[in-house]
Amino acid sequence: MLLAFILVIPAVAAGLVLMFNLRRAATAFAVTAGALEVAGLALTAWRVSRTGSLEAGKYLRADALTAFFLVNVGVVFFLVLLYSTSYIRHIPPGRFSSARWFYSLLFLFLFTMVGVYLAANLGLLWIVMEATTLASALLVGFYNTEGAVEAGWKYLIVCTVGLAFALFGTIVFYVAAVHAGLGPDDALQWSVLAQAGPMLAKSSTLIKLGFVFLIVGYGTKIGLVPMHSWLPDAHAEAPSPISAMLSAALLNCAVYALARYNTITVHSLGPAFSHHLLIFFGAASLLVAGLLMIVQQDLKRLLAYSSVEHMGIIATGIGLGGLFGVYGALLHTFNHSIAKSLLFFSAGHVRETVGTSRIPALRGLARNLPWTSAALVIGLIAIVGLPPFGLFISEFSILREAFSQSHWPAALVLLGTLSVVFGAMTYHFMRMLTGSPERAGSEVPAKSKTGAEFFAMGICAVLLVIFGVTIPAPFNNLLKAAMAVLQ
Amino acid sequence: MMNFVMNAAQMLLLVLAAPLLRGVISKLKARIQKRRGASVWRPYADLWKLLHKEDFVPNTASAVFRAAPVIVFAVTVAAAAFLPLLHPAAFLAMDGDIFLFVYLLAIARFSISLGSLDGGSAFGGMGSSREALVATLAEAPFFLVLTALAILAKTASLSGIAAWTIHQDFFDVSTVHILAFVALAIVAVAETGRVPVDNPTTHLELTMIHEAMVLEYSGPSLALIEWSQAIKLHLMAALMIGLFAPWGMSETAGLGAVAVAIGLYLVKLLCLVVGLCVVESSVAKLRMYVVPDFLRVASALALLAVIFTAITKR
Amino acid sequence: MGLIELAAVKVLSSAAVLLFSTVLLMATAKRITTCVYLLAVQAVILTLEVVAAGYMEHVPEVYIIAGMVLLAKVIGIPYALLWLMKKLHTPHDVGASLSPGYSVFVMSGLIVLSFVAVRLYLQELHATEVMLAAAVALILSGAFLMVTRSKALMQVLGLMVLENGIFLAALVTTFGMPLIVEIGIVFDLLMGLLLMGIFVFRIRDTFDHLDVSRLRRLRG
Repeated sequence: MLLAFILVIPAVAAGLVLMFNLRRAATAFAVTAGALEVAGLALTAWRVSRTGSLEAGKYLRADALTAFFLVNVGVVFFLVLLYSTSYIRHIPPGRFSSARWFYSLLFLFLFTMVGVYLAANLGLLWIVMEATTLASALLVGFYNTEGAVEAGWKYLIVCTVGLAFALFGTIVFYVAAVHAGLGPDDALQWSVLAQAGPMLAKSSTLIKLGFVFLIVGYGTKIGLVPMHSWLPDAHAEAPSPISAMLSAALLNCAVYALARYNTITVHSLGPAFSHHLLIFFGAASLLVAGLLMIVQQDLKRLLAYSSVEHMGIIATGIGLGGLFGVYGALLHTFNHSIAKSLLFFSAGHVRETVGTSRIPALRGLARNLPWTSAALVIGLIAIVGLPPFGLFISEFSILREAFSQSHWPAALVLLGTLSVVFGAMTYHFMRMLTGSPERAGSEVPAKSKTGAEFFAMGICAVLLVIFGVTIPAPFNNLLKAAMAVLQ
Repeated sequence: MMNFVMNAAQMLLLVLAAPLLRGVISKLKARIQKRRGASVWRPYADLWKLLHKEDFVPNTASAVFRAAPVIVFAVTVAAAAFLPLLHPAAFLAMDGDIFLFVYLLAIARFSISLGSLDGGSAFGGMGSSREALVATLAEAPFFLVLTALAILAKTASLSGIAAWTIHQDFFDVSTVHILAFVALAIVAVAETGRVPVDNPTTHLELTMIHEAMVLEYSGPSLALIEWSQAIKLHLMAALMIGLFAPWGMSETAGLGAVAVAIGLYLVKLLCLVVGLCVVESSVAKLRMYVVPDFLRVASALALLAVIFTAITKR
Repeated sequence: MGLIELAAVKVLSSAAVLLFSTVLLMATAKRITTCVYLLAVQAVILTLEVVAAGYMEHVPEVYIIAGMVLLAKVIGIPYALLWLMKKLHTPHDVGASLSPGYSVFVMSGLIVLSFVAVRLYLQELHATEVMLAAAVALILSGAFLMVTRSKALMQVLGLMVLENGIFLAALVTTFGMPLIVEIGIVFDLLMGLLLMGIFVFRIRDTFDHLDVSRLRRLRG
């Protein structure tokens, strides 16, 4: 009942918001519906943490892992909605780029992401994951400029091809399950497959083949190298709240799907196969992203590559397995969402006030935009993994797992890349923040109604500090329960 | 004895009916293009006329120029001896005659190329070089197609392949045969100089391939060359029928069976002719530098057919 | 009944050959409309295959899937693509970076590769070898078309061929997945086509051409 509720609200809101032509009216409606939805998500998480998993029919299911990610998407959506209320005035009006279309697509996007988390059937999971690509493609191309249209097309094509491979992997898993003796209705239910490890071991070649296709397919959505080519373009050309939504929420969706499949594979084949693949792709993402970050010239593209790098860290964490690896990976999905949202919000603000997001053109931000620069600095320290912010704890946990397993290649890649990233990002940010602002393009912004934007950024910063210092007990319990689901 | 008579009759039919085939094709094309067209017996009248005209030879030509038409005619008629027409055995059938057949046609092409070069005109040289390009590229798929079918039939004789195919079920669709048929159709078009490789009725010298080579010939020499070209067209058609659709060929020598065989052969020939005329009337001739690409398609399909003989059972 | 049974058996045994033919013909095609017609032919072959398989195995819900495939893939998608071609007024040229001759060579290589790949996994997958090889060949040729043809509509078409291949692979190994999943997949495909159509219009309006290889603004 509750599960249907949290799915129906964004779907209905997506349709209803189109009736409001005026920006203010649409915003008001969106905020109301959004608040309702976030309340629903919080309620679901609370119910699940109290009573174990919730089910609605054969196709919807919410266990602890789902609840954990629902909390994630709820927080991110709330922040993005808050930020958008003020940011939306920057979007040039067009036939399909008005406020109501923005909110409608945003709700549709949320609907598909919640659908991914609630799917109990692996086939349905794929269908809704493809729907997230479709729902967000129009958001990526929202500005309708040359860059946005190219980025949107590339995103649509690359992710659809990637998900086609994931569909093939899903089919292979289905065939493996049916041949191992499961009935056709059960063969795609995750809860059944996760328990059927020994049965599935009979079709081990098929499971291996399927998992390879799945990691390539869902890895495309996560942004693992070498399937990441869409990510820098899409995250850089989209409007900043959408970039935040993509980096902070959508990538986690794909991680969730891959983690579910990883559990099935580990239960049937043992950890060696899937962990090697995950660590391989994770390390590759780390290296490539870290190196490419050095030569970036655009702020939002730099942040996009940072997302690739952090997804690499998460993949490595899941790949290492063990208590600290999975704990670190899951915690990192949350911390990275908050930090990346903060950074994208600040980048959006910079872009709209200064007029560009190209790093060589941004100078002396610390003098012009003091609050935004503060947010940028907080975001920088957080994203490179320094204390007292949350990412330090999650990265430390993953590193600890690598060392305790004596997995020297992974540890070396992690440490090396983190250092390189630290250097690169600090260099780029210092270029932007220091110095004196010169020529046109760095004018002092008028005092405008940016309250909501700063409020959102402030919440991010506070959350980062809180999670850096201590992890609140209810959250920790939910996290531990989610880990248990994956073991 | 009866076999000998039938085989000889086959060969004579191939040779003597060739101009009639040419006439039917022209008439049918004319009809498709909404013209009345010349009579189907016109090629015979042309041959008769040419045989009674004087044979002009350029001053600079040597014996090669004079010998070429004779060699072409002789070799083409010899090639006709290897094709099964009415029953799955030919006048001269031996193991490996698929290669002999291809090379006899190649000797014919080679001779006419030399002859036109010897004639000394610019267009002769141009025609020779173009013909050499098309012939080189068409030879590989030709061989591969015959090889693929020979592998399936486990015999390297055209008559053997026809005999094997008769015993196959018509409704069992065979990948190898479909691929080989398309490749051989492309090769046949290239070998006989029809649209889209070469337009046999063009009067623009720059678009000619075969016609450019015979510009210098006249009288009986030209008659022999024209007749050889018609025989070659008939040979390629009979080859396609014999390799891919030989059902109806009589295995016995009874008169009824032979009549049925002739009737069915004419029906199949008519189908091919209609196909050729429709293609010639609707497709434009390819530009010269696209022709190698066209033949590359035939090579790829023929190669795939050979590989498929190993992959599939049929 | 014997005649229908015979027809079903013939369809099942010759579908693979026909699919290989459409794939090779697509490699030689020089116009987008030719490829669209070939896509429709492929979908017809798939529908016949679904119906024949359902008839032979006596699984009635397969007919629903066949009807869906008929509506969506035989009529819907080709019609949508042709409508897009008409509305966009773009040149019909395919934008091939490989000439038809070389494309056919590469496509033949991909067909052989799919047979090799299927041989490795055949004993696990209880399906007729030829049909599974046809499915893999469709997938590979869809990817090949997407890579070597630079027009946006050809990329969409390559994607449709790829999805046809995956659908066929699901069909020959499992007689299709549960009905809801199949319906969802086809629905996703149609929505994807809708989105791609919207984007194609936007590309044409922003860039004035539909040549994807000339979209090179974002690099690094």
